[in-house]
Amino acid sequence: MEMDTDAGNDVAGRAFDYDLFVIGGGSGGVRASRMSASHGAKVALVELPYHPISSETHGGLGGTKLAMISPYSDLSVQDAKGFGWEIDGEIRFNWKKLIQNKTKEIERLNGVYKRMLVNAGVTLFEGFGRIVDKHTVEVKDVDGQTKTFTTNHILIATGGKAVKLNIPGQELGITSDEGLSLEEFPKKVLIIGGGYIAVEFAGIYSGMGADVHLCYRKSLPLAGFDTEMAEVVARNLEARGIKCHKHTNIVKLESHYLGIKATTDTNEEYHVDQVMFATGREPKTANLNLEGVGVELDEAGAIKVNEYSQTSIPSIWAVGDVTNRINLTPVALMEGTCFAKTVFLKEPTKPDYENVAHAVFCQPPLSSVGLTEDQVKANHGGIRGEFKIFTSSFNPMKNTVSGRQEKTMMKLIVHGATDKVMGAMMCGPDAPEIIQGLAVALKCGATKAQFDATVGIHPTAAEEFVTMRTMTRQVNSPDVLL
Amino acid sequence: MISIGVPKSVAALCTGGIARAGALSEQATCSFAWVQSGVVGKSFGWSVGETLKRSQPRRAFATRSRAAASGGVNGTVADSKDSEYDYDLVTIGAGSGGVRASRFAANLGAKVAVCELPFSTISSDSAGGVGGTCVLRGCVPKKILVYGSQFAHSFEDSKGFGWSYDAKPKHDWNMLIDNKNKELNRLLGVYKNILKNANVALIEGRGKIVDPHTVDISGERIRARHILVAVGGRPYVPDIPGKEFAITSDEALDLPSRPEKICIVGGGYIALEFAGIFNGLGSEVHVFIRQDKVLRGFDEEVRDFVAEQMSLKGIKFHFGESPTAVEKGSDGKFTLVTTKGSEVADSIMFATGRKPNTKNLGLEDVGVNINSKGAIEVDEYSRTSVASIWAVGDVTDRMNLTPVALMEGMAFAKTAFGDEPSKPDHRYVASAVFTQPPIGTVGLTEAEALETYGDIDVYTSNFRPMKATISGLGNRTFMKIIVDAASNVVVGVHMCGDDAPEVLQGFGVAVKAGLTKAQFDATVGIHPTAAEELVTMRSPTRKLRQKSNKRADCKVVHLRRNSELYGFMERMITPGKNSSQIESHNPGLYSQFGQPYLAKYQLQSGLRLIEQ
Repeated sequence: MEMDTDAGNDVAGRAFDYDLFVIGGGSGGVRASRMSASHGAKVALVELPYHPISSETHGGLGGTKLAMISPYSDLSVQDAKGFGWEIDGEIRFNWKKLIQNKTKEIERLNGVYKRMLVNAGVTLFEGFGRIVDKHTVEVKDVDGQTKTFTTNHILIATGGKAVKLNIPGQELGITSDEGLSLEEFPKKVLIIGGGYIAVEFAGIYSGMGADVHLCYRKSLPLAGFDTEMAEVVARNLEARGIKCHKHTNIVKLESHYLGIKATTDTNEEYHVDQVMFATGREPKTANLNLEGVGVELDEAGAIKVNEYSQTSIPSIWAVGDVTNRINLTPVALMEGTCFAKTVFLKEPTKPDYENVAHAVFCQPPLSSVGLTEDQVKANHGGIRGEFKIFTSSFNPMKNTVSGRQEKTMMKLIVHGATDKVMGAMMCGPDAPEIIQGLAVALKCGATKAQFDATVGIHPTAAEEFVTMRTMTRQVNSPDVLL
Repeated sequence: MISIGVPKSVAALCTGGIARAGALSEQATCSFAWVQSGVVGKSFGWSVGETLKRSQPRRAFATRSRAAASGGVNGTVADSKDSEYDYDLVTIGAGSGGVRASRFAANLGAKVAVCELPFSTISSDSAGGVGGTCVLRGCVPKKILVYGSQFAHSFEDSKGFGWSYDAKPKHDWNMLIDNKNKELNRLLGVYKNILKNANVALIEGRGKIVDPHTVDISGERIRARHILVAVGGRPYVPDIPGKEFAITSDEALDLPSRPEKICIVGGGYIALEFAGIFNGLGSEVHVFIRQDKVLRGFDEEVRDFVAEQMSLKGIKFHFGESPTAVEKGSDGKFTLVTTKGSEVADSIMFATGRKPNTKNLGLEDVGVNINSKGAIEVDEYSRTSVASIWAVGDVTDRMNLTPVALMEGMAFAKTAFGDEPSKPDHRYVASAVFTQPPIGTVGLTEAEALETYGDIDVYTSNFRPMKATISGLGNRTFMKIIVDAASNVVVGVHMCGDDAPEVLQGFGVAVKAGLTKAQFDATVGIHPTAAEELVTMRSPTRKLRQKSNKRADCKVVHLRRNSELYGFMERMITPGKNSSQIESHNPGLYSQFGQPYLAKYQLQSGLRLIEQ
């Protein structure tokens, strides 16, 4: 790796205004700024003015916060009845109140982030950041005033933004960015897409009483996830009243006197009052003048970086979703931390992407760490041989009394030769909380024998992970992929 | 069988090792169990057909060829003398430990009978039931009631999320108890099936040991090569006037109506769990504790934290008060008289400990040693002072937890019938308390760790979970990681807050595997969860150095000298204490304290800044 100059001076010995100028105040940018400052760097950060809906002109510190509102998106009053609760009269849901409380909390967090940065000694600019050359950043504030600053290093952490399908009438639909700030709660929603954002929003809207239709191209939602787990998610979505339309492509949106008319490629029509595109996100690289200074982008439009998050220009770095590596908040934090260590502590540190656990906050949630069964069968990562699959599908204790028909599913994938647990996943209540600890074990190469030696915590769902004694099936990772 | 609706907890009790076959129907799973035992039998010289057709005579004289062919049980007995025994194993008590041991022994080829008292929700000398404490009077019914009472808090929480109710939700205690009992009855049947499918004969009646190889079950004498005592324990009520008016956890799970006001005596986990249940369902709850804190044996900070959180929900704690009498009034109410005063309530519950059920079992007569607390003394393999008599579970008072009894039962079966001496490993057993909020814990408390390792680093975090930030309620979560400073190994993890028991299980695996704090830190968080906090606690709250006797009991913070927070903290800790000692080099430690609210909390709890 080519490290540029020492902090504070360029080749000519000229002093820079800053050691680091960060563009973007999301998770990765804030973390990198704080850590760099704590390592002694003089740091500035520019972020768009705060607005609940991020856009080309608005953003805010801290980034997206979808899961915030999911805890009571489905009240599960039905569950309470079996436990002896009677609720007379109506139960009402006030969308505006939820959105207000959510906005209040996001504003509070925005303030917390701001203070955190100020306390760390980071200079904060509100406005639009643009790279002028490899050591110069221009900041245009809300009034259109521009200022330029010189800096030894530039870090791009502008994140990503939701994209719509390029179909006629796309402007009639919203994306997840607007989905949490709608003025009116939609009665009937069509969600286009089968990724995690789509299933999360489907759960939220449906739990709050909307009639939700989910359309995706493939036979299952959550492509890339373990197929068996995706099947469980699809079943749960259906059981909770969400209409899943597989192999369905929306080709056209039109205004309609009752709302929006969406047409599929087989000429089916949906009449709904809101359409949400959950059709992926793309890196936010526009208007940064990246091409102008020679920062290379990949085919997906993401900034190309090396293992240390350095771009093709040595003084320019990038972390988080804008690099499209693993687009998760804690990964951006890790990348930010590693960047600061590499550049300002002179300790070259690579982010470690192995066994990064993640969660989908559908209802009930899905969480997973390590390899999926599909990956094992496809010889992902080149680990060969036999793999033992342990699965358990059970009715959680709460459901035995509430009567809810929804099974929890767990799965462990164990490498036969080494006994190492290569994957752990769960779909069921508290799955993300349960998987976190297992992620520590997986990260350290724990064996199935070590799982088995652990005594369960009774009565929990999680104890099932340490009491799965009988293999469900065995699969082989082929020596040679055909 | 899981798929037909056995709750997970029971599945864990009943299926480990045999029928972990989630996708199968009950019928299919059962047949799977049959096949499995058939396979085992086959390898011991039985044909599958024989195994499958084998009936369960109430009292069968075994065809000894089977055990003989097995090549010996525990390497000691496998000859013609076998015929003097009716069974290879007679287990007294069909609770978690007894059922697990019996089933595993049968799987290993032993001929097994288990005796159990008739079912009743209240345990006594003449009543019990298959499933034991855990299923009938403990973990399962308790957790069902905890679920029921949690809804009250959910209704409150949900208001901040936009929900409103025309009328306050009402609770019907009887419906909850009926549904709970329905579930218990179903489980009772599931348990009986498990035994049946494992080829274990179930004999209803009271078992009493006559000699080292003979058990008398309601008058019938049965000869056994090995006897396993797994009779568990029962609630203990101190001998004070009026104790007959008090209820225990057995009755509290089955009250005909919910007391509007209840006094609970005891500060242990049972007392606190019931306090949470009744509080959630709307009762006025008073808890009387002899000591000045709840939950003796738990980490001190966790003890303080959970009491504070429970108080916030309206539970009234009376510390330093011991009960002296219970009186019944003419109005049907009861008065609890204590060393400090008295309290009138609809129910007085004693959660003053549990005692092993070792009376009237004939133990002393055959020479089984019993310790001063009334528990059966056993060696590391669960063998008593009489070689043919063994004991597992609460009756041995080692670690009174269901999964531990399961482990002990399984190890016993391997030792006695699997030709594989196995010691249950009681180290780093994770456990939970289903208070509201619940507690999950694994490993040593801070005091124990300090005692054991001398030099430890303690990481704590006390935060408002995301849910509470929206609901606006005062709920908080507390977490603590204790690290042996010399080896960097994590020796204790404690959490009190929503989902703590579920969160701790995975960390239990990590702690059991002996992982280091660096390995915790290398794990990427799952966002947004509470659990991710446990892998992102970067700065020690304090470093305790007893061994090296340096810097004992200090909370160490390093800050940038020019930061605003530095000034803020400096102001907070004046006058005069160590403020000049703040270090200006601050790398990783700063990150956590960079959150002003956290710093404030730390300062309030007596922070001192010192140089490293």
